Amino acid sequence: VNIRRKRKPASTIVPIASMGDIAFLLIIFFVLTTTFAKEAKVKLEMATSPDITKLKDSQISVTQDAEGVIRVQGEECEMKDLKQKVQALVAGKDKKVVMLKIDKDLKHSAFKQIFLDLSEVGADIALVGQKEKK
Amino acid sequence: MKLRQRDKDEPVVDVGSFSDIAFLLIIFFILTTTFTKLTGNTMSIPSGSTESTPSEDKQDTITLNGEEITYGETSKSMTLDELRDTLDESAYGERGADERMVILQSSDNVSFELYYQVVMAIRNAEGVLALIDEDDKGDEE
Repeated sequence: VNIRRKRKPASTIVPIASMGDIAFLLIIFFVLTTTFAKEAKVKLEMATSPDITKLKDSQISVTQDAEGVIRVQGEECEMKDLKQKVQALVAGKDKKVVMLKIDKDLKHSAFKQIFLDLSEVGADIALVGQKEKK
Repeated sequence: MKLRQRDKDEPVVDVGSFSDIAFLLIIFFILTTTFTKLTGNTMSIPSGSTESTPSEDKQDTITLNGEEITYGETSKSMTLDELRDTLDESAYGERGADERMVILQSSDNVSFELYYQVVMAIRNAEGVLALIDEDDKGDEE
């Protein structure tokens, strides 16, 4: 008598052995691709305007906080050295865009030279601010 | 003589929980990461000495003094909203390169907040910003 064997039910186990590898790959990817904001430690209040749009991140950043301290790429810099430092950073770059953040309460006497220096360097200024509703 | 072989335990590192740790790390980073949204405007400011500046009759001048804004040859005092409207009406986008320049003159006591709003208004109206500070003006005279 030929008796047919019963088929084994299909396995319902999901293989999770490679999940750990995937997780570590994700971590490695995020660690390698993350760039931390260079001016994260700078505390300043941004100026507001309704006439602003989205801005692309720039590799060169200049900030001036409420006390008038200037930072280039997150490092403190004297006003007299600003032009030279920015010049060195934009040299050889196609897009000479400098991201500029200034505290909203600073007076013109404190920040005017930054504008003049960046203008002389020939850099485009990406003025960062906050969107204000009209 | 029969010698008993010792059972040597092979050192095994338990890696079973590694994936759990990895996922916990991912969840931590996802929850704590804040992406910065940059808003503003990009502008180029032409540089040059006062001698090389084209004649001022083709250019509009905005003067800031404290909280006060004055515009044009007549130095008409106006609010920021009025300035925005005036700049929009000036249709700088339709003008030639020489006539798009807006001279911004500012005294030392002007806050960056006001300065920024005026600069953004000029940029929004497609004007080209030209900077003059009062010291230069004094030297010029």
